[in-house]
Amino acid sequence: MSATKKSMMLLVCLLGLSMMLAACGGSGGGDATKPETKDTAGTDPSKPFVLGETPLTFSFYGNYDWYTMNPWGQDPATRWIQDNKKVTVQAIQSGGAALQKFNTMIASGQLPDVIWGDRGTDVEKLRKAGKLVALDPYLEKYPNLKKWAGEKTLNMLRSEDGKLYQFPNWYTKKPMGNGGYAVNNKIYKELGSPKLETFDDLYAYLKLVKEKYPDIVPFEVGLLGQGIDFLYAGMAENRNVGQVSLRAVPDGNELKSLFSDPVYRESMVFANKLFREKLITQDAITQTRDQVKEKVNNGRVAIYGDFDTTVLGTEANSMLRAKDPEGGYTMIWPLHKAGVDPKKVWVNEFDSLGWNVSVITTSAKNPEGIFAYLDWLTGEEGERIIFWGPEGMYWQGTNDKGAPIYTDTYKNEVEERSKLMAIWDTFQWAGNTAFIDGSKAENEMELPEDKRDWATVSQTNVAWKTSFDATEFGNIQPLPDSDEGMILQRVSDIADKVRAKALFAKDEQEVIALLDKAEQDAQKAGYDKLLQFETAKWQENLKKIHGS
Amino acid sequence: MKKSISSAPLAGNRHSFWVRFAKQLDLQLMVIPAMILILMFSYLPMYGVLMAFQDYDIFKGFLHSPWVGLKHFRTFFEAPEFWTVMRNTFVISVLRLLIGFPAPILLALILNEVIHLRFKRIIQTVSYLPHFLSWVIVSGFVASMLATDNGSLNMLLQKLHLIGEPVNFLSIPGYFWAILIGTGVWKEIGFSAIVYLAAIAGINPEIYEAASMDGANRLKKMWYITLPGISGVITIFMILAVGDILSAGFEDILLLAKNPVLQDVSDVIDTYVYRVGIRNSLFSYAAAVGLFKSGISVILLTAANMMARKLGRSLW
Repeated sequence: MSATKKSMMLLVCLLGLSMMLAACGGSGGGDATKPETKDTAGTDPSKPFVLGETPLTFSFYGNYDWYTMNPWGQDPATRWIQDNKKVTVQAIQSGGAALQKFNTMIASGQLPDVIWGDRGTDVEKLRKAGKLVALDPYLEKYPNLKKWAGEKTLNMLRSEDGKLYQFPNWYTKKPMGNGGYAVNNKIYKELGSPKLETFDDLYAYLKLVKEKYPDIVPFEVGLLGQGIDFLYAGMAENRNVGQVSLRAVPDGNELKSLFSDPVYRESMVFANKLFREKLITQDAITQTRDQVKEKVNNGRVAIYGDFDTTVLGTEANSMLRAKDPEGGYTMIWPLHKAGVDPKKVWVNEFDSLGWNVSVITTSAKNPEGIFAYLDWLTGEEGERIIFWGPEGMYWQGTNDKGAPIYTDTYKNEVEERSKLMAIWDTFQWAGNTAFIDGSKAENEMELPEDKRDWATVSQTNVAWKTSFDATEFGNIQPLPDSDEGMILQRVSDIADKVRAKALFAKDEQEVIALLDKAEQDAQKAGYDKLLQFETAKWQENLKKIHGS
Repeated sequence: MKKSISSAPLAGNRHSFWVRFAKQLDLQLMVIPAMILILMFSYLPMYGVLMAFQDYDIFKGFLHSPWVGLKHFRTFFEAPEFWTVMRNTFVISVLRLLIGFPAPILLALILNEVIHLRFKRIIQTVSYLPHFLSWVIVSGFVASMLATDNGSLNMLLQKLHLIGEPVNFLSIPGYFWAILIGTGVWKEIGFSAIVYLAAIAGINPEIYEAASMDGANRLKKMWYITLPGISGVITIFMILAVGDILSAGFEDILLLAKNPVLQDVSDVIDTYVYRVGIRNSLFSYAAAVGLFKSGISVILLTAANMMARKLGRSLW
């Protein structure tokens, strides 16, 4: 008996102690809410900050699980920056758990000077809490961002309060993308190179492949069945793959339900037919990236199509070409329903805002200096150094457009160069797509045809020409902790489920029944409210773009 | 162990507590670090559950976030996914309890009957190695083994002419529970069996000898000596397993149920908390659902212990 009493007492003591300590912890968390004073470190506001005169050091956090910044100053490019521009960046790594790291930094009130990550939720949260530095005062003082990104893109990046907080990365005025259909040359040739333009051609070709090559996957749709969304894009004019992941279809001035959209329905019926007849890889939804790679690299697919075709295709192409010069893959113009104008089929989408952004937090001692660095980085000199390294290694001199002229080392030292360029990629926070792609194309076109990079050729000939400008649909989704955010979560679950279920349906009727059910469930979850919210945001975007 | 301590003579007054403490000082010193660990990592963070009753705002912190009562619990109970999630959690847990729990006991019993020592060791090592593989690796194995395209299982079944067309194992809801439980058993059976093997080793060999004299065969000895001999350990693990019943699994389900088709049979409390709560940074909602789960676990644990007490083998 007394033993139980004592253990009870001990438990009570433990609880008491933990509560005391908890209280301490709580008040510590409370400190985080105190506004932090901005220290501009005595810089003269009228004069621009000159890199290389005053040393600049700042901390940098990349908000991705997979991102690890290489050590600063350990490679030729950042060493050059350290020596010539006196800039040092201290990395704060996510350690493979970006979400936890990010939340821990906020909760403890210790924000890094620069956060680099996706636009949207996280940036908005920080902005609403007053933790971000507005960049507007610096825009006029530094030339590059304004010049290269342009007024429209910057307007789109502005937050509700009309101020600019985000420094864009890989922003562009030109279409970009990696997706598309690639045809296995060897099989295509052996089957007599039939016409491959419409979905009817596709169906007939896949049937033929299945009959003649039973061990080959007729249509490999990649990770999570991405290629299936291409069927939606080709079913009517001016549809694009992004609408499937947005779970909304624009119709006039309104966003409408994806599930009741006749075009989406038709594409799912077609996808179901291909899947049922085993013309699409049966592991479409469950396979890993390695499984896809294995099939594509060994030429075990007749047609391969997903959002990363030019990425996976490059390696596969060179592997197959090494075995058989006639082998490899060719990217073809996106397939479409008969009667649809092929020039209006979009299997890629891009937005002028680019990929992601850097934001400067109120913890930064010298926000203007950081902006000056990012602005230099996105300009011609910065881009050349961070992409191709310092002058004299892989390039020497520039042409009239500022494009670096490749040296022989660039052409011969492929392995070492690829390694270094991958390292430099981790320092690329202000990518200037127009400049980099333009420079690459200038150099690439100098090469003889068989020496050209497969990805570049595929991109310039097909992928970029079939990329839809989705700038107006950027950032229209609600924050997750709002009512609409909860609805979005439910609708997304429903959409993912019905897309997969439709593949496995036994016939056309079942596909339609599943989509009807999905529509009902989504409506019950509040789909209409979500669509109205997104429509309003979309219309705001349009106004910003057209600059009213 | 527990029994021997509580049945030690007790004086029952306050002085003797310290006297006894001093006498056991060496033992107590060994226990203290463990107590501190539990205090720091299990009790100290417990104040965080109060977050379930707040609209927690990460910038305002714990002390300044508004209190909202049972709002998040209500949201969860009213969510359309609630019943699916609860059903899956219970079904998967009960299956684990019925299949995953007795499996290592059976293995231990079988291994105990193996006379060839080297063979026994090899089996033991081979069967407990998978425990040290992470679920990411195991799920990779499973995915490629069960793939329709060049998956080993499908190839085997086709060669044996048991099936004509490859079966899409990882996309058919009907197979999911079997795959999940099967993989779990494969991964953990060897390691869990170690405890039971140790308990079996502690049984006095004289009892077996006496039984042999009385003419008991191996099956009889297993049933009348070995099983009762380890029943104490079994009960304790059973109680713990029941308390864990709502932890139907997390990593394994997350990694094996990639196909959204499976969501109707694979979504359990922990994966739901992760998908809806954590990924969207809805801390309060995640805390509320987690707290709900812990509440039920405590009730189940107490109930299981009460039942065990009736059998005279309770945990406390």
